[in-house]
Amino acid sequence: MTLPRSRIYALLMSAATAALLFSFVVYLIYAANLLSFPYDYDQGEGFELHDTVLYSRFQLPYGDTESYPFYGSIYPPLFHVMAAPFVWFFGPAYWYGRLLGFLGSLLSAAAIYYAVCRDGRGNRWIALLSALAFLSSNFVYHIGPLYRQHTMMVTFETLAVVVLAGAFPRRCKRGIAIGILFLICAGYTKQLAAFTALAAFAWMFLRQPGRALRCLLVFALAGAAVFLWLNIATDGQWWLQTIVANVNDIILDQAFGLLILWVKLHGLLLIPAALLIIYELYLDRLSLYSVWFVFSALLGSIAASKWGAGDSYFVTSIAAACILSGIFFSRILANDWRLPRQIGKTTMIKIANASLIIVPLLYLGYARATLKMPTAGAFAPLAAALGVEGNVREDFYDSATFFVGGYARIGYLLGADDRAAGDEITRLIVAADGPVLSEEAGFALAAGRDVVGNPAQLRNLHLAGRFDGSQLIEMIDGGEFGIIVLRAHFYPPPVLHAIARRYEQTHTIHMNGFDYMILHPKALDDGSARSVGNSG
Amino acid sequence: MVIIASARARKHFTARLMLTKLGIMEEHERGVSKRQLGAFMALVGIIGFGAILAIDVVDVGREGGIGPAQTIALALMAVCAIIGLSLIPLGDAPA
Repeated sequence: MTLPRSRIYALLMSAATAALLFSFVVYLIYAANLLSFPYDYDQGEGFELHDTVLYSRFQLPYGDTESYPFYGSIYPPLFHVMAAPFVWFFGPAYWYGRLLGFLGSLLSAAAIYYAVCRDGRGNRWIALLSALAFLSSNFVYHIGPLYRQHTMMVTFETLAVVVLAGAFPRRCKRGIAIGILFLICAGYTKQLAAFTALAAFAWMFLRQPGRALRCLLVFALAGAAVFLWLNIATDGQWWLQTIVANVNDIILDQAFGLLILWVKLHGLLLIPAALLIIYELYLDRLSLYSVWFVFSALLGSIAASKWGAGDSYFVTSIAAACILSGIFFSRILANDWRLPRQIGKTTMIKIANASLIIVPLLYLGYARATLKMPTAGAFAPLAAALGVEGNVREDFYDSATFFVGGYARIGYLLGADDRAAGDEITRLIVAADGPVLSEEAGFALAAGRDVVGNPAQLRNLHLAGRFDGSQLIEMIDGGEFGIIVLRAHFYPPPVLHAIARRYEQTHTIHMNGFDYMILHPKALDDGSARSVGNSG
Repeated sequence: MVIIASARARKHFTARLMLTKLGIMEEHERGVSKRQLGAFMALVGIIGFGAILAIDVVDVGREGGIGPAQTIALALMAVCAIIGLSLIPLGDAPA
C-alpha cells in the first residue's frame, strides 16, 4: 500500500534533493578543476599514468626493480588498459584517467539508482536521493576524479552486485555470466574487489548452493587463467609486485580513525541499512546487498589498517549502504513489510506516516554531515549563510576535516599558483643533466624523462625483504641522477640514506599544499659535481 | 500419469531427470535455511573465539596479554556466535 504523499513530504524531499544536488555541483566543479591540472594531485597518480603509458606501448609494468629503471607496479592492469588508447591520441596526460574515474563514479550512482528503483518498489525519488547520496559522500568525492583505479573497481563491483541480485534468483544465465564477468573485471582493476567476490558467492551459496559452486568454478578458472598468464609473461614479477608487495604494516589507529569518520559522516544511512539487514536476517531472506554491505564494511575496515590504505577502502560499503538505505526508505514509505502479527497494522501505518517526515529529514541531515564546499568567491555568501569557514585551506570547507590518519588530504580546488609550482619543478628537471629520481612521476613525464622507481613500491618490497637496491644506491652514490624530487620520503631507508649522503636540497617548492624538496648532487672535493639547474 | 508425447521430449525429460539425480542439475534446489546458517555462524564464532584466546597459550613468548586487535576480534566472534544461536530457532525458513 502506498500512502498519499503530503505536501510537507514533497517540500522536505525537494529540500533534500536540492541539498544533495548542491553537493553534486561542488563535485562537478572539483572534477572540472582537477581535469585541467596537468600534474600529480593525489600521491601516486603519476605512477598510474606511467602504467597506462607502458600498456599503450604493449609493455607490462611489472619489471625487475633491482635494475634500471627500478620500476614495478602494485596494481592490476584493467583500469590502465582502459585508459591506454588515450595515450595514442593525446600522449601522457592526467585528464583522461581522471575523466574515466569520474565517469565511473557516475555509473556507480546510476547503478544504485537502478537497484533502488527495481528492488525498492519503484520509488524513483528515493532512488535518485540514494544515487546522489553516494556522490555526496566525502570519501567518494575525494577519489572520484583522480587518476586512480579505485573508483573503477567500485563501479565494476556495483554493476556486478546489481546484475547478480536480479539475475541469480531468476536463474538468468546471461545475467549471471555478465555479473561474474564484472566481478573478474573488478578484481583485475584492484585486488580489494576480492571482498565483493566473497560476498557474492556466499550469497549465491545461501540461495542455491549447487549453482553457486558451479558459478564459483567458472569464476575461479577464468580468474586463474588470467593470473597465470600474467605471472608467466612477467617471469613471476606479477606475483611479487601485486601480491607480495601488497602485504604491509598494520596501523590500528588509522583503521579506528577511519572507521569512526565513516560512521560520523554516513551514520544517517548506515542505521537504516543496518535495520534492513536485521529485518532480512530474521523475517525475510538475506539480499545480496546485505551480504555485500557486511563483507565490505567488515573486511574493508580490517584492510583499512594497512599502511597505504585510506578512506577509499570504505567506498564499496558506502555504495552498499546507499542501496540498502534506499530500499529501506522505499519500503517503509510504502509500508511494505512482512511482520509478525504481534506488530499491528495500525502501528506500521503510523510508522509509515511518520517516515514521510523522517526520511527526507535523514537525507537533509546526511547532506549536512557530508558538506564540503569552497568558501570564497561566488560561494562566500552561501558559506556565510551556512556558517562554515575554510578548515582545509583558507578557502575550502570539508566536514570530514583532515585529522584522521589515512584520510586523503585532498578535495580542495587548485589555483594558478599550484600549476606554476608544477611548471617550475618541471623546468628544473629539464635543466638538469642525467636521469631524474622523483617521488611523483608526473614531473618526469612532463619533462620527457624516464620514470625511475616507484618509491612506495620499493619501500613495500624492501620491507618484504625482496628489494636489495644496490644498483639504485650505487647510482645515487655516483651522483648519476641530475636531480631528485622528494615529497613524502617513501623510499626505503637505505635509499634515503644514500640520497642524504650524496645530494643536497637546493629548492623547496610548495604545490597542492605539500612541500616538494628539490635536491642536486653535492659539490665534490675534486669539483666534479653535476650542474645545478638554474633556479631563476 | 504424465504422457510424454514425442521421442525428443521423452529423451529430454530423461536426460534432465538423470542430471537431477546425479546432483548436476537441480530443478528446485533448496537454499540454506536459517537454522543451518545459524549453526554455521555459531560454530565459527565459538571456534574463532577459542582460537583467538589460544594465541596467547600457544605463543607463550608474547607479551602484553590481549591487545586491542585481539579484543576486537574476540568481540566480533562473540557477536557472530550470538547471532548464529539466535537464528537456530527459526528452523527451515530460507536464510
